[in-house]
Amino acid sequence: MVLNRILETLQKGDVKQIADLIGQAFDAGMTPEEVLNQGLIAGMDVVGQKFQAGQIYIPHMLLAARAMHAALDILKPLLAGNGNARAGRVVLGTVRGDHHDIGKNLVSTMLEGKGFEVIDVGIDAEPEKFVAAVDETIQIVAMSALLSTTAPFMGETIEALERAGLRKNIKIMVGGGAVTREFADSIGADAYGADAATAALLAMELVASQKEAR
Amino acid sequence: MNGKQRILTALAVKQADRVPLYIHGINEAPIIGIGRHITDGLPGVKDFRKMTDSEKFKVLDTLFLIHETYGVDGFTAFEIGHEINLDDGHVQDEFGVTYALSDFGLPVAKGHPIKEPQDLTRYTPPVPDRGHLLLLDLARDRFKGEKALFWLMRGTFVRCWRLMGMENLMLKMFDDPQFVHQVARMTLDYNLAQLDLLVEAGLDVLVIEDDIADKNFPLIAPDQFLEFVNFYNRQIVEAAHKKGLKVVRHSDGNLWPLLDILLDSGYDGLNPLEPQAGMDMARVKAYCGDRICLLGNIDCIDLLPNGTCGQVDEAVRTAIQDGGKGGGLIICSSNSLHPGVNPENCIAMFEATRKYGLYDTP
Repeated sequence: MVLNRILETLQKGDVKQIADLIGQAFDAGMTPEEVLNQGLIAGMDVVGQKFQAGQIYIPHMLLAARAMHAALDILKPLLAGNGNARAGRVVLGTVRGDHHDIGKNLVSTMLEGKGFEVIDVGIDAEPEKFVAAVDETIQIVAMSALLSTTAPFMGETIEALERAGLRKNIKIMVGGGAVTREFADSIGADAYGADAATAALLAMELVASQKEAR
Repeated sequence: MNGKQRILTALAVKQADRVPLYIHGINEAPIIGIGRHITDGLPGVKDFRKMTDSEKFKVLDTLFLIHETYGVDGFTAFEIGHEINLDDGHVQDEFGVTYALSDFGLPVAKGHPIKEPQDLTRYTPPVPDRGHLLLLDLARDRFKGEKALFWLMRGTFVRCWRLMGMENLMLKMFDDPQFVHQVARMTLDYNLAQLDLLVEAGLDVLVIEDDIADKNFPLIAPDQFLEFVNFYNRQIVEAAHKKGLKVVRHSDGNLWPLLDILLDSGYDGLNPLEPQAGMDMARVKAYCGDRICLLGNIDCIDLLPNGTCGQVDEAVRTAIQDGGKGGGLIICSSNSLHPGVNPENCIAMFEATRKYGLYDTP
């Protein structure tokens, strides 16, 4: 079945073959939503599970991510206008003073693999930059810090979101080398992601909890 | 025993008169913070690059003084003078890698000169400069053989990702492995040439600093590590051993999936044994036995920044109890003494090592 082949090809990161397979899926009458949900998102779920289990490593994640982005480039125009295809919108960045981005980028990839739209505010992002990126369409603010000297700026960013009156409408997720669950709790974050795959799963749970609360 | 003898004995996984003490790396802030307990006239905390010459001299002298006052048995030297300032926020090293400066930690590589094979054809690799070993010369002249002299040499993975970009390097391992090997070979040639200079300058211990793991897993797969990283680092180990040096492998993170490879690669020591990454001292000691000396394990992520002196004292006592039996243990923090550590806690670590580190029978 072509969707299974898309799922497998995504894990191998074969950009050309995945484009061919998407064409075959359309020829077989499948919708872009079916290709996205049963091919790409399902494939990235497998990638995330293998990463969490230590069966694959970051280079394999990057390989899969590259194939997924190539596939999304094909699918996005066809999904336009269909809001149901998106799991939610996340503002993501590495906090003030911290210039590390590989962890953040992996989280971005895994979130996109779950169907989230990611608004990446980059590295060394001041609290005000996070605040400016949040509007009523944002469900989650996700922050990364590798350094124990910069992790406290996660707390400052949460305070800035509170001062701006935005905190109650969003969930906060944190992670990175310097962050522990205890630290996340101490600054009032809603979730701590120990790795990129966990972060994506937690984002799904956070959005589900928001919907239930409404 | 003096500090040098103590360190070399521990690296031979033998028992010295007491457990040695070591500082792997230290930033300006803790030098100044600890230094204020033992000297006057220190400048305010700022980047070393932004200090006046007299301030630099004072800070370096204080770094030496810290080692003398607190009985630190080894001194870590590293390159200085190898960077040029591009602007207030960026420097470039001798390889042409551009770094963003930060008030909160080490500079982060952001500009990578060799992204594609055609970049390599246009690239002229640097030649190690004897003048960049100034800190080693100063330490040798200051300590006069009383302390072991360590040198931080960037390993193959770190040099390659700084040259190529981390994500690009990882993808090129699949797309163009020959290109990765060419870059790795070039960095090996540089490191081997620098090794010759280091030996002439009186080095005792080479530290191959090559972070390869985060707190969860290695950054690359074990087979990639063997092919693209360890193949080259191992040649540095062999060359250093031929020249009579001890060699320590430094990497952050969870090294368990790579530990057998590292043990088979001839290293004399393993550093820094991050507790948060599962590098539990008792477990590592039980696994490695007398095959390698262990350096580190005193938590610098949470304990040294936020703990009490009493908690630090207890952590040192536990580490010595778990890893010190029969020798082969050197106490230091679980990574560098960075700007976030509490200077009083660092002093507590130094004092606790002397307090608990004495072996009953030398």
